[in-house]
Amino acid sequence: MDFRYTTEQDLYRQAIREWLAKNLEPRAREIEEKEDGIPSDITAGMAELGMFGVTIPEEFGGCAVPGEELIYAMITIHEVARADLSMSTPVYTLLTIGWSYIINKYGTDELKQELLPKVAEGKAFAGINTTEPGGGSDLAAIKTTALWDEGRQAYMLNGEKAYVSGPKECMKWGPPSGHCTLVKTDPASGHKGMTFIWVPAHLDGIQWTVYEDMGRMGLSTGGWIYKDVALPKKYVLGEEGKGFYTVMDGFNAARVLVVAACLGGAEKALEISGEYTAQRTTFGKPLGKYEGISFEMANDWMQLDLLKINLLRGAWMMGYESENPGSFARKDINRVISTCKCLAPTLGHEIARHGMMYHGAFGYTKETPLEMFLRGVMSYEVGAEGGLNIMRGIIARDTWGDTHNPFKD
Amino acid sequence: MSLDIVVCVKTNPDAQMIRIKNREPVLEAIPYKVGDLEKNALEAALQLRDAAGGGTIRALTVVEGDRKIRETIKEALAMGADEAVIVADPALAGADQAGIAAALAAAVAKIGACDVLLFGEGSTDNYSGQVGARVAELLGWPQIGYAKKLALAGGGIEAERSMDEMIETLAAPLPVAVTVVSEINEPRPISLMNILKAGKKPVTEWTLADLGLDAVGAQKRIVSNLAEEQDRKHVLFAGAVDEQVDAFVNALVKEGVVGR
Repeated sequence: MDFRYTTEQDLYRQAIREWLAKNLEPRAREIEEKEDGIPSDITAGMAELGMFGVTIPEEFGGCAVPGEELIYAMITIHEVARADLSMSTPVYTLLTIGWSYIINKYGTDELKQELLPKVAEGKAFAGINTTEPGGGSDLAAIKTTALWDEGRQAYMLNGEKAYVSGPKECMKWGPPSGHCTLVKTDPASGHKGMTFIWVPAHLDGIQWTVYEDMGRMGLSTGGWIYKDVALPKKYVLGEEGKGFYTVMDGFNAARVLVVAACLGGAEKALEISGEYTAQRTTFGKPLGKYEGISFEMANDWMQLDLLKINLLRGAWMMGYESENPGSFARKDINRVISTCKCLAPTLGHEIARHGMMYHGAFGYTKETPLEMFLRGVMSYEVGAEGGLNIMRGIIARDTWGDTHNPFKD
Repeated sequence: MSLDIVVCVKTNPDAQMIRIKNREPVLEAIPYKVGDLEKNALEAALQLRDAAGGGTIRALTVVEGDRKIRETIKEALAMGADEAVIVADPALAGADQAGIAAALAAAVAKIGACDVLLFGEGSTDNYSGQVGARVAELLGWPQIGYAKKLALAGGGIEAERSMDEMIETLAAPLPVAVTVVSEINEPRPISLMNILKAGKKPVTEWTLADLGLDAVGAQKRIVSNLAEEQDRKHVLFAGAVDEQVDAFVNALVKEGVVGR
């Protein structure tokens, strides 16, 4: 048992922290306000340091350490989030490297060859696409279909998806950017008729729209409409009909990184508050001397530290399990990661809000990045990668079984 | 041309992690890092080697032996050094600049293949700035201190140094010892690919006995190492804004700060 990073992990953390502080942090506000995505020189620099390759094996152009993919991905996202409190760059990055992890695990060699080297170079976007206009949490109820057409030797995709990150990013990079997409290949069989499949964003029959978000403005969110889009078999992730399980595995990996983004941002926000409350004096003493402030900060620090350790545990469990299958029950991994995903977004929001309170009127201005973090982190509070109550449902189901399973009558 | 370079690397306590208590740094459980100026020296080595078209870069460090040096030196290997040579010996504890220089010079002699020997101008912690010159003297090599620009020229090396009111350009034949200042370059960021390769690069470890040295005991003792405290002058300029500005500028000229 060891709670320390390895020398290599720590060197990587230091190296990217330094680079991100110099190159990304000064531009976070610009990324937020331009609403034009992550600048290409930033993604290129990140790729050069290996940030987009942490989940991709060397043979596909990456630099993954087997079994430590999620640890390195977690370090990456934590550090990127510290540098860009708008959450635009961390979310862009976590989607791309998180779903690349799943593509590498479940994708065909042809798909991996087509996509992963571009991702590692920082020149492709990979995202997740499950939610539909009718709902997101109730995945078994999705209506989008991809029915096998023997004549065309393709799955014919029809339907609509909503609240998906990355339509403009797919257009910026061009093929093979796209999304891991949950569809029904056998609509009569409920969740057993679902398949997880890669949908490149540029195929014929695809239309997209963009929504106006309240935060995280450097990353677009939108919807997709599919009309007779032909998907070859090489794009299937895992087995046909097992999509529900594949996406759930993917969500565990993605949630590790979502939490890393929330905690990295929260850590930075708390540091900003620490500096401000040390300098700002009222009634003759620094704000930090008031226990109303320092005790609240100490509470936040405690919550943050507990979640960091639990997240490390979750990322380590997933890596260990992938190298040594059968070491952990799925429910054990589910509960650790769901705990983090349930608590981290709200903690991030609270730490941002507390920081704004310490800053007073200054905290309500755009002179501090705290308001930007508050708006950005809320995307994970309202639901992305699993709503908070879905996390509670998973924990209840996986702790007490059928009698407490809200997902099954 | 093949250019073999040795970069002397001192590992220092990570300055960002140090707390100050009673005007002394608390060094308990502080991780050690390759110093910033040593990173400039490593970057200079990489650029010189690229210009030469080949050669081996070795990172050389001396340590009393309890600093997890094999881990710390990975940073130099990740930056691009091909090999590391560690002189680790408990007898180095408390060694002063003369002792460290003796160990380094003996190690460079034992390595043999060295056309250019690079140092930072001083170390992040003590900053005496002596070691580079001492090693050059012990080896009997030409020495260029405080280089802000380095290039290969005429089979030797050419360096620029910033003097008070001029730039001095010096040339020296090989082998040569050079200390560099931070302006010389921007050390390249370290990629994960190179970090992962670092662990596979060769590391040689020697003791003082391997170098034919006995103990390199300190000939001096540091009593205190504090920055000088400066009293501020607290001069206030009164009057209209224009008058204040004039008086302020005059005072600066008088102090010799501007308009020399």
